[in-house]
Amino acid sequence: MMRLQGAMPRNKGIAVQGPALRLPRLSREGAQALAGALGAVLLWELAARWLAGSYLLAGPVDVARYLQANSGLMGRALAITLENAAWGFVAGNLAAVALALVVVMAPRSQPVVAAFALVVFCLPLVATGPILRVLYGPGSGPQITLAALAVYYTTFIPLMVGLRAAPASWFDLMRVYGRGAWTAFVQVRMMAALPYLLAGLQIAAPAAFLGAMVGEFTGAERGMGVLALRAMRGLDVEATWALATVAAGVAMLAYGALGWVARALAPARPEVLLAPPPATAVSGRAGRALRGAGVALVSLVLMLALWWGVMEAFGLNRFFAKRPDDLWGFLVTAPNAAANRAVLWEASAQTLAFVLPGYLAGLGLGAVLAMVLVLAPGIAGAVLPVAVALRSVPIVTTAPLIVLALGRGAAGTITIVAVMIFFPALVACLQGLRQAPGQVLDVMATYGASPLSRLVHARLPAMLPAFFAAARMSVPAAVLAVTVAEWLATGTGLGNLMALTASTSNYNLLWSAVVLVALGSAAGYALVGAVERRVLARVAPEQLR
Amino acid sequence: MTRLIMSRRHLMGMGLGSLGALGLGLGPRVARAQTNVALQLSWLHSVQFAGSYIADERGFWAERGLNVRLDSGGPNAPVEPPVVSGTALVGISAADYTAAAVQQGAPFRIIAVAMQNNPFAITSLPDNPVNSPADLEGKRIGMATANTPVLRTLATLNDVDFDAITIIPTQYDAAPLIAGEVDCLLTWSTDIPVSMSVRGIEATVMLMADFGYTLHSQTYIATDDSIATRRAELVALIAGEVQGWEEYRRDLEAATDLTLARFPDAGLDRDTQLEQARRQVPLMFSDLTDANGFGWWTDETVAQNIETLDLLGMPVSADLWDRSILEEVHG
Repeated sequence: MMRLQGAMPRNKGIAVQGPALRLPRLSREGAQALAGALGAVLLWELAARWLAGSYLLAGPVDVARYLQANSGLMGRALAITLENAAWGFVAGNLAAVALALVVVMAPRSQPVVAAFALVVFCLPLVATGPILRVLYGPGSGPQITLAALAVYYTTFIPLMVGLRAAPASWFDLMRVYGRGAWTAFVQVRMMAALPYLLAGLQIAAPAAFLGAMVGEFTGAERGMGVLALRAMRGLDVEATWALATVAAGVAMLAYGALGWVARALAPARPEVLLAPPPATAVSGRAGRALRGAGVALVSLVLMLALWWGVMEAFGLNRFFAKRPDDLWGFLVTAPNAAANRAVLWEASAQTLAFVLPGYLAGLGLGAVLAMVLVLAPGIAGAVLPVAVALRSVPIVTTAPLIVLALGRGAAGTITIVAVMIFFPALVACLQGLRQAPGQVLDVMATYGASPLSRLVHARLPAMLPAFFAAARMSVPAAVLAVTVAEWLATGTGLGNLMALTASTSNYNLLWSAVVLVALGSAAGYALVGAVERRVLARVAPEQLR
Repeated sequence: MTRLIMSRRHLMGMGLGSLGALGLGLGPRVARAQTNVALQLSWLHSVQFAGSYIADERGFWAERGLNVRLDSGGPNAPVEPPVVSGTALVGISAADYTAAAVQQGAPFRIIAVAMQNNPFAITSLPDNPVNSPADLEGKRIGMATANTPVLRTLATLNDVDFDAITIIPTQYDAAPLIAGEVDCLLTWSTDIPVSMSVRGIEATVMLMADFGYTLHSQTYIATDDSIATRRAELVALIAGEVQGWEEYRRDLEAATDLTLARFPDAGLDRDTQLEQARRQVPLMFSDLTDANGFGWWTDETVAQNIETLDLLGMPVSADLWDRSILEEVHG
């Protein structure tokens, strides 16, 4: 009991520091993880009892009872969604590999390919869902595609880093031995990229499952997403939380299993998790700005052409598949264009007011938690599983709880956004904090520097590159989160505007909002990149070379 | 991909289809040349569309040379795109949704009306009830903000001060009402109140149709092009629907059991489905349909619909409705 309490998240791990220190490392971590999980389940049950009768939360006991009674139904739904998620996982990751190969083969294409990948990743489900359903007809096509869309970006980015992570000396070695480009590619690049690929796949696995589930909202007949919809509408709180539990369990298992595979295949973890190359061959601020503008222009033209081309190629009806020229009319030349623009601006301002604080809060929470874990490593084993679980529960089930606790105003919405993005920030920051050079830490320890000053002076600068990588990756995630929160909780902003299309058929407004969301995400991404360059130039100039 | 579709069809066609047919004591389907068409439903499979399942299982379409695929709807599966694209011959919409789509340039017409009475209702708890629109003043109502025009129209029709009602944006979920976050909810009379009653929570349901909110719902829509060129298929489809829904009314238990047998993986609860089946009867059948047949409307009801749509900010003309298909079916 002492040990269990000692490893509970809120306790600073006093008991663990004592006798448990003498235990072998692995079993101590195992015990902490177990205690953390038990503590979380206990808290969950207590919360459920406290909220009894509110139809918002079912505890683990009720969930277990429901799962036992409905194992057949649940099993069949899980099998369908898992199958779609698996196909989507394969398709999305293959697409990521193909994109990364394009970038490696033709390095000049990198900024344009990266921008394209980002924008496609930012396309909201309300716009893509109906189009995919019309293209595929009934069946699993949209679910698989949406699962693939949910994963390709988080694999593409680390893979792109990984394929370039090989030291130049290795290529020199290949050349000395008279090997060709192909051998160098297979022997050096692919081997160097493997740990990065595996890190990407680890994040992709839970995303694929959630993507397949949400994909079922486009008119699927079976699966976990269909059951979740039915349960939420039917006031079936046991079923809702049983589904959320199974989804979170699958996500955690997939995350854990791929982590295990990664450790087995590639013992060396990636140096900097998920950091895309800053890659600025052009020096000087003016040169960079010019180049940036050029890339943005080329990307924009390519994307407009692709947008128009895909819709024309598939003969998609203009009623719902708006082309760039339709939007031009809607926003510029139509008699009520000014009114249309005003609606969009108002919604954008509302969205921005939520997404900015939520984004900063989520990043801050991740970074602070990472620092706490470094100062008190004893609690990491207990906190991390809870963090993974929190991240893996579908937001549609947790959002009503957050709303109940914090209301439908700013606090609730900002919290929903923060919850969606704190986990990647936490993982990346932890990784970064552990990158502090051992010698520096040794020297500081010799001079009797306190753990806090070691954190501030040695570990924090080492954390920043990883932190910024997470900050950039979190931009699309935050935008996605805020649009979901607006739809579920506040009824304002771009998220609500897009949801309105279902009843108004105002697809011009929908596609305008989609363009704004995509452009806004891309701009946010670029802005974080600019801040990153300025900060890293001071604290970690080696990252910019 | 192909394998997935095959296995699904196999399951549907061989497994569940024959199961349902056996349950109803029917033999194999009529063997004749079949035209494949699709009907796009407006929501997930449930007893809400039981008439269509009956039409399919009992061969009401097959005997008219039609093989109808019933495409499930969902929160992210709007009805209008597949109908406008031709993926579905007919879609199940509602007069306000159709009017909005027509405003946006879609060439739709309403060719039959399943719900004569609109299912929108104000659901409240008996100790703080909303029995008439006047009771709404000073209350907090939970609803999707998309439905604001609906509430405004109800207020206008009943001389209620709209500004005295506080709208709280909520998910389509009874929890905020039970938790006391809101005093009432804008719901359908056939879903959230049913879930509540099945769970032993009594609800006060005020049907908006009883207070002047006249708007056809669960309407069958088709494009002008289909009405001109695929008339025989439309007549066959609607004729099967009419026959299916008349059978539904005759035996709600059988309709519910058929729905459950056909979709064992949909997580449907029999008590809930049966209660929903009961509550949609008064919305779908009336003296009007008793006199003229399922799906019918008159110039008078259309005029009332146009008035409501006007208040909703969607001016339409009577051309939105095209009764020629129904006239062929019933004539």
